[in-house]
Amino acid sequence: MGRLENMKERYDAVVIPAELNDRIQQEITRSRRQQAEKKAASRRHTFRKMIRGMAAAAAAAGILFTTALNTSPVFAKEAAQLPVIGGVARILTFRSYETEKDDIAVSVEIPTIEMIAADTGITVDGINQEILERCEQYARDALLRAEEYRTAFLETGGTPDEWAEHNIKITVGYEIRQQSNDYLSFVVRGTENWTNAYSESKYYNLDLNTGRPVTLQDLLGSDYVELADKSIWEQIARRQNAGEVFFTAEEGGFTGISEYVRFYINRDNRPVIVFEKYEIAPGSSGEVEFEIGGN
Amino acid sequence: MKQSLYERLIQYILDDQDRFYRVAYSYTRHQEDALDAVQSAVCKALEAHERIKNADAIRTWFYKILINECLTVLKKRGRVVLTADTAKQEEAYYEKGYEQGGDIEQELEKLEMDVQVIIKLRFFEEMSLKEISSITGYNLNTVKSKLYRGLKLLKENIQEADLWVD
Repeated sequence: MGRLENMKERYDAVVIPAELNDRIQQEITRSRRQQAEKKAASRRHTFRKMIRGMAAAAAAAGILFTTALNTSPVFAKEAAQLPVIGGVARILTFRSYETEKDDIAVSVEIPTIEMIAADTGITVDGINQEILERCEQYARDALLRAEEYRTAFLETGGTPDEWAEHNIKITVGYEIRQQSNDYLSFVVRGTENWTNAYSESKYYNLDLNTGRPVTLQDLLGSDYVELADKSIWEQIARRQNAGEVFFTAEEGGFTGISEYVRFYINRDNRPVIVFEKYEIAPGSSGEVEFEIGGN
Repeated sequence: MKQSLYERLIQYILDDQDRFYRVAYSYTRHQEDALDAVQSAVCKALEAHERIKNADAIRTWFYKILINECLTVLKKRGRVVLTADTAKQEEAYYEKGYEQGGDIEQELEKLEMDVQVIIKLRFFEEMSLKEISSITGYNLNTVKSKLYRGLKLLKENIQEADLWVD
């Protein structure tokens, strides 16, 4: 055996520290997060462009968009079981289904707003249609991603049994935050249990007196930006003292609310600002919430 | 398409991470420095993933970044201090395997850096001369002549090396 061959043997025998994989995973997680943010930003951009285009086309042609809700016996039964909290409107499940194919489980629950009072003049068809389309689109895209993942997994030597052990699950659903005579507030979510990169949450806040979406300005007044920023800074400081970790500004942490800030309305009719997982704090914190305007 | 190249890059990194560490360790001879070099290579590769043109080029493209990071670590370390004390310390970092009969490693480290890079890619990572050429940016003939010059300096039996290589 030559010296080169000996050297190669010693080279191959170098011990791999366990820390290596952690550090690589750390970089991958960080990169996936950046990718998701980039994607979300460009999606917001195209969405705004689309809305502008649609508004122009509708104005030009005088088109009216209407939607038919499919009222099935199941739908009617479910609706009857829900307690009516407000007398004006309520949120209920419009369609729900579960499927499983190729060991990919899909669970979808699509909400809809139903106006109870007849004489409000408020139409929710447009918003309901948007919710429906958004949910179905997400379920479709997520299923494609999972199928791609499965193909790649099997092509690179994974077995179907190992794939089944992944327990891949796609979930689309909603959570009601406030349902009163004044406000409807709820969040529609899409998640995939094997990656955070494509998780989506969309918050809907509806003013039942006007039929319009609620803005932070409606709730907090014209200096809502300063008010919200100040409150969030104070709460971050308090929570840091209690041991919670937030990203610094250099790490991409909180630097003030933007026009895209997300919020819902809680049971006290106060806005709660929500930051996505990884947005201003490490992933272990999950979504980070700040109630604004309470004591 | 871009998305799937990104996913393939991630898969490649996960699959070959041990190799990256060995490469880095062969330059730094120091666990923490090797980990740093691999981590920042991964970070840079993921940030620049849009520049990968096709899946076949992922490996050579990544090695280019990795080796660059290793040399950066060495340069940084070189700037710190190089007294007799630290030189001794460096030797203490050698893994067990290197202590016994590890003289060829030390001879290798005395060669010019680009020759070292070529020899390591050739014999440790078993890359083809063409791959080495695209990683180092030298043309094929330059790679060949540097490789043979390096082997001569190591007083290696070229014939034996030749046999082993092919």
